[in-house]
Amino acid sequence: MGSSQSTPKVTAHDRAILDLKLQRDKLKQYQKKIQVVLDREHEIAKAHLATGQKDRAVIALRRRKYQQSLLLKTDSQMENLEQLVSTIEFSLVEVSVLHGLKQGNEVLQEIHREMSIESVEKLMDETQEAREYQREIGDLLANRLTHDEEDAVQAELLALQGEAVSTSCRTLFYSFSHDI
Amino acid sequence: MALSTHTTPSGFLLPSIHSAPPFFTHQPNQSTHAHLTEQWMRLILTYARHKRLFILRVEDAEVPGGDWDKILRNERINRQIPPSYLSSLMAALVVKNLAVYELAKQTHAVLLHWHLPEEWAGVLHSWATATGQLNTILTFYEISDPPIPSPLSCILIPLLRRAITILSRSNRAQIIGVADGEGVRFFVG
Repeated sequence: MGSSQSTPKVTAHDRAILDLKLQRDKLKQYQKKIQVVLDREHEIAKAHLATGQKDRAVIALRRRKYQQSLLLKTDSQMENLEQLVSTIEFSLVEVSVLHGLKQGNEVLQEIHREMSIESVEKLMDETQEAREYQREIGDLLANRLTHDEEDAVQAELLALQGEAVSTSCRTLFYSFSHDI
Repeated sequence: MALSTHTTPSGFLLPSIHSAPPFFTHQPNQSTHAHLTEQWMRLILTYARHKRLFILRVEDAEVPGGDWDKILRNERINRQIPPSYLSSLMAALVVKNLAVYELAKQTHAVLLHWHLPEEWAGVLHSWATATGQLNTILTFYEISDPPIPSPLSCILIPLLRRAITILSRSNRAQIIGVADGEGVRFFVG
């Protein structure tokens, strides 16, 4: 391969996701800022109490409470943003899964087109015929051999029978001769 | 005169040469100066790596109370490095490509390369792979300030950008720009 694979194109989807993430980052930085203000107001309230100015301490604490409510609101907004970002990313994953399924399906269909039902049936019939022919030939050959073997077996049987008769005659003869 | 090593509260071991008064002055002898410069550079980079400090400024020698105090000052022998010596050390670091001036055309602050940009590129890519963030879009802010501490926490954006440029040359990263800002996407490489 001559050239290496270049990076995929940046789509509008990617830019949308990046936009959302940048918004989320802005919210995070805003939250950090508010946290700093919160801590500062806390210190201011303590300092006022130390100098005995209770009403100014109360004012500082009220400001702090307001900042805390802002923090909570941005928290819920950030939750929304993050949910949207993960939904988009998940749907991108789903799209690629669908794409994979579609490609697999197409490949399967092409393979099926090559192997039509009729051609398979024809092939199976031809194989069946060939197998039967083979079996016939085998039977014929088997029968012929069996006949030959049958003749040999018969001849052996006769020979054995003959031997058995002659042995029994001899024993009879011996027993007769000894009895006398 | 017996020189001793010293450990800072954060666990960094200062070398014994740090307890020698001549270490803190610019030596007239060329070979001694070269040797001490070498020691200073190594000390600065190791301390920066230990505390993850990226910027070294000439003001750190002038004004006490900064992150570099433990290195640039030694109260036990009542010595501190003069700003001019620190400036020449910074120049030496830049010549050796171990640092760059933070903004061009000024010599007050340097960005230290206690990891070379190529090393940062490797760390960046392996972090993205380990956290399963390949092929997802990330913002620069997200990388330098992650909710879970990572080897890349608090990295400066120019250094991050340089590492990403190195990765994009080998097709392992892609910078995406929109109106509001920039993002990056990492690939298997």
